[in-house]
Formats: sequence, structure tokens, C-alpha cells
Amino acid sequence: MGLGLLASRAMRPLKYSNSRVFIRSIVSKPELQSPEASSAAAATALEPDLPPRSPVGGARVHFPNPEDAIEVFVDGYPLKIPKGFTVLQACEVAGVDIPRFCYHSRLSIAGNCRMCLVEVEKSPKPVASCAMPALPGMKIKTDTPLAKKAREGVMEFLLMNHPLDCPICDQGGECDLQDQSMAFGSDRGRFTEMKRSVVDKNLGPLVKTVMTRSSVPHNFWLNRCVRFATEVAGVQDLGMLGRGSGEEIGTYVEKLMTSELSGNVIDICPVGALTSKPFAFKARNWELKGTETIDVTDAVGSNIRIDSRGPEVMRILPRLNEDINEEWISDKTRFCYDGLKRQRLNDPMIRGVDGRFKAVNWRDALAVVAEVMLQAKPEEIVGIAGRLSDAESMMALKDFLNRMGSNNVWCEGTGAQPNADLRSGYIMNTSISGLEKADCFLLVGTQPRVEAAMVNARIRKTVRANNAKVGYIGPATDLNYDHQHLGTGPKTLLEIAEGRHPFFSAISNAKNPVIIVGAGLFERKDKDAIFSTVEAIAKKGNVIRPDWNGLNVLLLNAAQAAALDLGLVPESSNSIESAKFVYLMGADDVDLEKLPNDAFVVYQGHHGDHGVYRANVILPASAFSEKEGTYENTEGCTQQTLPAVPTVGDARDDWKIIRALSEVAGMRLPYDTIGGIRSRIRTVAPNLLHVDEREPATLGPSLKPEIKSEMDLTPFGSAVENFYMTDSITRASKTMAQCSAMLLKK
Amino acid sequence: MSFTLRAVKVPPNSVNLEEARSRVFEIFKTACRSIPSIMEIYNLDDIVSKSQLRSIIASEIRKNANVTNPKVIDMLLFKGTEELNNILEHAKQRHHVIGQYVLGPQGLVQDLDPKDQGLSSFLKNFYKSNYF
Repeated sequence: MGLGLLASRAMRPLKYSNSRVFIRSIVSKPELQSPEASSAAAATALEPDLPPRSPVGGARVHFPNPEDAIEVFVDGYPLKIPKGFTVLQACEVAGVDIPRFCYHSRLSIAGNCRMCLVEVEKSPKPVASCAMPALPGMKIKTDTPLAKKAREGVMEFLLMNHPLDCPICDQGGECDLQDQSMAFGSDRGRFTEMKRSVVDKNLGPLVKTVMTRSSVPHNFWLNRCVRFATEVAGVQDLGMLGRGSGEEIGTYVEKLMTSELSGNVIDICPVGALTSKPFAFKARNWELKGTETIDVTDAVGSNIRIDSRGPEVMRILPRLNEDINEEWISDKTRFCYDGLKRQRLNDPMIRGVDGRFKAVNWRDALAVVAEVMLQAKPEEIVGIAGRLSDAESMMALKDFLNRMGSNNVWCEGTGAQPNADLRSGYIMNTSISGLEKADCFLLVGTQPRVEAAMVNARIRKTVRANNAKVGYIGPATDLNYDHQHLGTGPKTLLEIAEGRHPFFSAISNAKNPVIIVGAGLFERKDKDAIFSTVEAIAKKGNVIRPDWNGLNVLLLNAAQAAALDLGLVPESSNSIESAKFVYLMGADDVDLEKLPNDAFVVYQGHHGDHGVYRANVILPASAFSEKEGTYENTEGCTQQTLPAVPTVGDARDDWKIIRALSEVAGMRLPYDTIGGIRSRIRTVAPNLLHVDEREPATLGPSLKPEIKSEMDLTPFGSAVENFYMTDSITRASKTMAQCSAMLLKK
Repeated sequence: MSFTLRAVKVPPNSVNLEEARSRVFEIFKTACRSIPSIMEIYNLDDIVSKSQLRSIIASEIRKNANVTNPKVIDMLLFKGTEELNNILEHAKQRHHVIGQYVLGPQGLVQDLDPKDQGLSSFLKNFYKSNYF
């Protein structure tokens, strides 16, 4: 909430009351000086001559049913809103920002902070606008002296027990309480007793609590965090304890907050009671530079803002995107940033005869790589893109290796024989926001809570809102919503496909059924059989209709969708066994056990992770926070990262390294700029250039040929063992290590 | 800076290119005449020879060989005189003179690898830094 806006609104009633008390002075407005305008004003005398306002934060009104529109008046403005809107929402549409603490648009209404009081005509008392439904013909006044006085009273109560520690508070500078006390706070306190103090709680390694700042003076006032934990995150850890002035927010027993979304309570806390533990006392928010980019730690592509100071990433915050992550991000996204500062590769290195790495310059490193590469036979050259690779570098890698005569390029995690032909076979066809329309879910071999926490939050939202049924096939797991554990492996899948299982009737009776298949199954040998069984279920259960495609694949990595779009598919499934030259572009999770001992391995990446152990040459590359790169998320939405901080040491962008290597090797790639590489991508996968747009798959799976192969009846495994550590950045992060040590402890 | 101001008198502008040209020769001769004292002040005997310093001065002047505007030449002459005076007044230290004139802007770094001749500008920039 803008400080200036509040301050100006606080000033306005004063001006009005002045004009009533004193004799009105003669004023001349510009519109009165021009005769046309004054005559026009006279013609439409019934319309109030107030300056036009635009809705707060671009708020839009959607009328599900045009008959349900009602008319209300906000500060004299007539306004059409749908039935069921609250007074606060009506004011937002009218362009009036009502101060609020407890109200949050994505949480249930508590109505207990009373900051949003407004005056309504014919109502004896001011009403709490967040909890009051707007009624037809209501005349709402938001800036009357009564409303202002009421808010000032509320503010005084809120500040009564709030400590005066803004100078050492991490929320300082971006604190709702600070901002609003500038507008409504008194310049002196009348409270002379001792302030209440509360013992701080330990909520784990991520969230720092200063419970004295929590404003719970008389009845429980702002409990946004409690509502968030129970409603969005789906954990019953936080709650209210005690009564009266002894009331506290806390975990019921001395217990850590075990949710993969716990970091979001930091954002929604309007005071400084819950702040980020890794960020504590590290920086002030006004000295940070914000860069709007996207997250790559999972396949969701959450929209984030990287706050950096100089060359250092200080914190990561969510950015609003209704279609992908709403305004939440997972803890892995939020707190993985300290991994960007540890274990970084900063110089090109060559492994000497003694097995130690020696730092060299780029010229020598590229010359060595090119020499070895040119000696290898084309079919012995293998290139593997990592799970964090951007589309540009994958395109360059594929082009380069194809020029060298090899076609063994793939992206890790897509399996031996990935299906890259039909786009509907590897993206989330329903789209993430489309999941909200569903009323029945079948999760096949996927645990969305650890694979894609934001998708899981969306499923949970749907389960809460529509009472959607969830059936789950896979190893025992803890999903934070009601679900039926149908079985552990393909056996159950077959039963459903043959209609023998009771859950099949749930799918066929559902209006918008959704099947989500985990990308962990890509690694199985019998994946074609599993997918054809799932398609059989989809066909019988009417999951795919012209207006609804409920058959989804939930990918695991940020690079996967773009890699399949660009056709990074290996030519032969056992190319590793016969490889002599392996180019790992950030690939850390490839099984190199079968690689011959005399093979030459080049690792290009930003972290000294698994891939480095076997590497002969290291080429340092930039991480996602340091480069401009295109990523496609699991629903097929293309987004771009922007560089927030400079690269570390002598590192270079991924595609530049490959472009330079191609020239040293004498197979010069024809692009010198990122624009050039993008126009090359246009010829392969034009959807990767439509940034921030979701490109749905055009053809359904019905075109696929029938596959007659037997399913292996071994149960499905879990694709993600440790939610907090899935890639080289998160594995290097100290915070993530603490989380996995403390929170995953069984 | 007072001594510099005292020492450098601003001569009247050159009327035409011919006059400017003759002044360039004058400053070159003055600089050459002061080479022995420069070598003595900065102790340069074991680093360069007199003839090398002469050719360095000539090449400094030749850097601006394409300038034809007498006003610009006058300005450059003024800057050259000022620089020469600074050197003669020991306003610089030995490493300044060596770094600026004897070694040149490239310094001790020998980047002129004969292998680099056929490289594209992309690769030359790539070896320098990530940002281009």
C-alpha cells in the first residue's frame, strides 16, 4: 500500500471539514473557467463531479451472472458489482484502497482487526468492510471523519502492545503497520503500562519469529499466518493459544512448522512478527535491487523477484501470477539462494595427470576440449543437458553436436526413449489454473507435494473449494488433503483401466476429471505401456473431450519441457556405454557408471556438484540468476529469466561457451547474439518465443499408435527423495541442508 | 598547479594549417631536445635508448595524423606542451613515464597472439569477458 496514497487520503477529510466550518472562500477551478466544460457540467448535474478513479491494483470485476449485478455507491460513485462482493471489494473496484491488516484476498475473512472500518449510510456504527457483504443501494463512505477516527482508534490499540523496535526489525521499510501508522497513527501514545512481551517460538530453520511484535492485544486480531497454514499450506501446526492478553500464536506443542509453503507466512504477516531467518539482519529492503525473473528449481516456473545487493542475491520473493503460482512460492524456491554463493565454479579447469584440477584460461580449456572432441568418432560423442538448462543453450548444444555428426543429445530426466512427438504427451494440458475446474483427480506415480509444490497447492485449493475426489497411485506419501490411496503400482492402474476398481466410477461420473502422470515414470522401461493404460482410462472415463483435456503430465525439471520441444532425444538408448566424449551441460544426475574409463568428460555448469567428480575439463557457466534464458514450465508456458547479479569469476553464459567451442573446433555456429539463437529456435519450436504465454498442445493423444507391451508390475517409485535438494543449486545451499536435516527427520 | 600555469603560455591560435604544422615540428624538436634530461630525471638509461624515446614521441604525434582542423591541432599542441612540462618538472614518477610511454597501454600483457588472427569478434570478446 502506497504511503503517499494513504497520507493523501488521511488529509482529505480534514480539508472537507475545514470547508464546512469556515466561510467558503472564492475559488476558481480550471473547469469552471472554460465555458464548454461548465455547461457540460450543468447538463450532467446529477453525476457527481469527482475525479475518475481506476480500480486498486488493476482489480477486475467478473460477472458470472449478469442479473446478479447490484449497484452501490462508493463516495458518491455509482458502481455495478456482482452479488456476494464485500464492501471492501466494492471499494477496491471503485479505486479506493481500504487499509487492512487481517484481510487477505486469498484467505478466509476474519474481520477481527477492524482497520477496514467504513461508514455506511443509515448504519448506526462504522462497519468492518471486509466482512460486510455489499447490499443493493448501499451508500459507502470511505473518507469521512468518523471512519478516520475509528481507524485511528484501531491503530492506537494495535500499537499499544507493539514494540518500538522498527530500527532493528527486518520488516522495517516494507511494513504495513509502519505505513498505516504514518497515515492513522497518533504522534504520542497514551499507554503508560508495561508492554506485553511473549517468548519467541522456534518454527524451524526458515521462519524467524518475534512474537512480541505479533499484534494480539485483546482478541485475536491478525491471524493471517494461522489462516494461511490451515487453508493454503494445509498443515495444522499454527494456532492460537491462551485467552485475553495471554493469547499467543504458536505451534501447539514445541514443534517445527513442516510445510513446503511455510515461507509464505513471512510475506503475509503485515507486521514484523514472522520474518525470514536466513535473511535476518542481512539487508534493508530499500538498498536492494529487485529483478523480476522466474524460478527454475522445479518445473512450475514460479514467478519470483530476486532482490540483490551488488553481486549478491539477498533474498527471493514471489511475484503475482494468477495462472502459475498465484502469490505463493515454495520454500525451496524462496530459500535456495544461498546455494548460489557456495560451491561455485569460477575458472575453467583441466584435470591433470595427478587427478587434481588446475585452473587455466578459456583459450587453453577450449583448445583442449576441441582437440579431444575432434579425435572422437561422431557416434561416440554424447551431449546431456542438465535440469536447469535454458532453451537457448540446449538449442546451441544440439546444433553443435549435430554439426559434429552426433545425434546423441538429450536432457536428463526425460528417460531413454522420450516421447517428443506429441506435445500433449508431456505437458500439463489442463494448465495449472485449469485444475481449479476439476472435480476428480487421479495421481499416477506422482507426489505433487514434493515434485511441484505450487501445483499441489492448486489441487488442495480445488479439493477445499469443490470437494474434489483425489485418488493416488504410488508409494505411501503424505498429501495434505483428503485422498484415497488406491494402490502402489501398475496393478491398480490396470484395475481402473478395466473398470474393475471403484475409483473408475468416480472418474467416469466426474464432470471434469483430471489424471496427472508423474514424469518420474519416464525413467521406467515399461513407460509406453503405462502411458497407453492411462490413455485407456482417459478414453473410457471421458477425460479428454473437445472442451476439456484432463490428461496431464507433471514434469520434474525446469529444462524438461523446452528440451522435448526442441527435440533433445537420444538416437540410441545405450549411447553412454560406447561414448568416448561426453559433454555434460549442467547435468549432474546422469548415471555415468557405465561410461568407459577412457571417456573424456567435459562438465559445463555453475556448481561443483556430482557431474564434476568424473569430469576431465570444467567450463564455468552462469546460474539462472545471472543470465537471460528461456524456460518452459510444465503447463507449456514460456517464460524468461533476467540477470539479477553479475556472473561469478570467469564464468560465461551457457550458450556463449558452446558457440565459442564450436568456433575453436572449426564448426562455427551461425549465431553471435541471443537474438540470433532465438531466431534459430523459431524454426524449431516457435512457442518458445511467445514469452509469458501458454501454448496448449494442438493434437490430442488419439493419434498415437497402439502399443502392445506388457507392464512391469513393480510398484512406482518416488521421483523426488528429498524435496529440499533436487538440483545443484539446492544441494549447495546450507539452508536447504538444514531443512532436510530438521524437517524431513522422521 | 601554479607552476604549470606559469610554464605553459598559451600561444596565439594558428592562422592556418601550415602554421599549425610548423608548430608541431617545433614541439617535436623541443621534446627531442629534452630527452637527455628526461632520461636523467627518471633514470631511464637501462630501460630505453634515446632513439626509442624519439620514435615513441613521434608515434604519439602520429596518433593524431588525421586531424586537419588548426583549432584542434592547437588544442593538442597545448596538451602536449603541458604533458612535456609535467614530465620535465618531475610532476610524474618513474612508473608513470614507463607505463605510459615506454610500455604503452598494453603494458606487459602480450595479447597479440598470432593464433588470434583468424578469430571472429565473438570469440575475441568471449575470451575477454562474459558481457559483450
